[in-house]
Amino acid sequence: MKRRIDLGLLYSRSGSYSLISEACRTGAMTAIAEINADPAMDVAFVAVERDPQGNIDLYAPLCEEILRDSSARHVVGCVTSWSRKEVIPALERCGGSLWYSVPYEGFEASDRVVYTHACPNQHLLPLLSWTFGAYGRRGYLTGSNYIWGWEMNRLAREVMAAAGGEVLGERYLPLGSTEVGRMIEEIEVTRPDFVLNQLIGPSQYAFLAAFRELGRRDPHFRPGTCPILSCNLTECELPAIGAEAAEGLVAAGPWFRGAGGWPHPGSFGSSHEAASHATVWRLARLLHGRAGAETLPLAQLLDTPVNAELGIDTRTHHVSLPVLIAQVQDGAFRVVKREGPLAGDPYLARGREIPAAPHLRAVT
Amino acid sequence: MKRRLRIPNLGGARAMILHRPHPVVQALSRQLEAIGLEVECHWPDLPGAAIGADYIFFDADLGHDEQFPWQPGTAPMPLVALVGSEAPGRIEWLINIGADAQILKPVGDSGAYSALLIARSAFEARNALAAEIADLKGRLDKRQVVVQAVAVLAARGKSEDESYAMLRQLAMAWRVSFEIAAERIVAGARPGGAEDAHG
Repeated sequence: MKRRIDLGLLYSRSGSYSLISEACRTGAMTAIAEINADPAMDVAFVAVERDPQGNIDLYAPLCEEILRDSSARHVVGCVTSWSRKEVIPALERCGGSLWYSVPYEGFEASDRVVYTHACPNQHLLPLLSWTFGAYGRRGYLTGSNYIWGWEMNRLAREVMAAAGGEVLGERYLPLGSTEVGRMIEEIEVTRPDFVLNQLIGPSQYAFLAAFRELGRRDPHFRPGTCPILSCNLTECELPAIGAEAAEGLVAAGPWFRGAGGWPHPGSFGSSHEAASHATVWRLARLLHGRAGAETLPLAQLLDTPVNAELGIDTRTHHVSLPVLIAQVQDGAFRVVKREGPLAGDPYLARGREIPAAPHLRAVT
Repeated sequence: MKRRLRIPNLGGARAMILHRPHPVVQALSRQLEAIGLEVECHWPDLPGAAIGADYIFFDADLGHDEQFPWQPGTAPMPLVALVGSEAPGRIEWLINIGADAQILKPVGDSGAYSALLIARSAFEARNALAAEIADLKGRLDKRQVVVQAVAVLAARGKSEDESYAMLRQLAMAWRVSFEIAAERIVAGARPGGAEDAHG
């Protein structure tokens, strides 16, 4: 007889980042279905879903609603860091925990959150290190106007300065804005070795299309000499970007579709889907065979030998992950570098220096 | 003036918490350890070894000067006050002991990281200003010597401007400050002085 346990799901099914959000939701729902059908697991999850529709002000009230109106103590969800920071006070008030399964900018270690995706020592730093060696150290920084872009670019600026690189420009767009003209002009004039892309949703799609146009006019702005780098781009957004604009994009992440090392056997549409799938399975394994464990505070829930296999750090609530750098070739990500697994280091306590790889690009 | 924040490397930094055993200490320790610091807790007094700590968090509610192995306002590291009571007398005391930042009690899930950064930044800014003020004070005190040195040089038939320029050249040649060069010139001009030895 399985224990039926309410599990909160807080994903936006519309709004500017709904492609990522839907991918995460699909992965979570797939995992719930698998766990419920698995006779070896003594838990079954009942999804308690709320949809904030991409509206930042709905996250905290809806999270509170899940924790108040159901017996769920665990919520899987949130895509943006802004929404995650919004729900933490609600989690504290109602005694809940959030399982957050997308890459983020680090510098957080809430007692109420488990961070199951990568932070900068697992995405940005290895990506910049590889890029410095392969393309050069002069970069242009872009981002959507909220904490992810600000903090990622602040760290990139610091790392680039320490490595003798140069930041040629830094510009932000409001969420949803597609006015990319000025960014493109600045990039055209400054001719960077790479562009760091922290834009999300429609802003990102408009920017990538305009950059592709720029590459048509001027061969410097093609992937061979000036790639676009992302720390949160996965397969789920390639259709929206379009085959032509997607070609040559470089991304860092723990998994890419088709590359070895998927966290769980399964044919996922994207690594966002795989990540939230793995997250729900992690929670199920922690609850399996421990009646009542679903009401434990995270510190006690994680204090079990099972967690040694799951790799959730009991101090930081971050996980150990492989680090892959991949480039889109013929419509799919091909891995160009693989390292790790690397433990999440949210406050960069183990340092932020990146190896000063020699600049190998041939002068033509 | 806009300052670009230099993020200190906190991995392995040592924090001491001066607070009686209490959930505040647990919540704060959890945050500090997640950030990567090593944490030691003390009560009722800080040990002499506290001088080697990188940060001190102290209870502002029950605190008093004698808990610290140094004089109020002279802590050799950033101090963060843990504030429960906002009574004016307690605030006055924490200001005098030299708090660089504060965290309000009860301590929950956050607050330590910003307090660490703000305290470090305030501590360094305060030290830099104190060093600059000490330097300027020293130079002010030596104004009289500079005037005397210019008079010594002018007595050899130079104009005041020429004497001043010469004093500057001597300071550069001797690789000392303007004021120290002036002291040497004045000393050398006294009976039995050795000005020529500096040439």
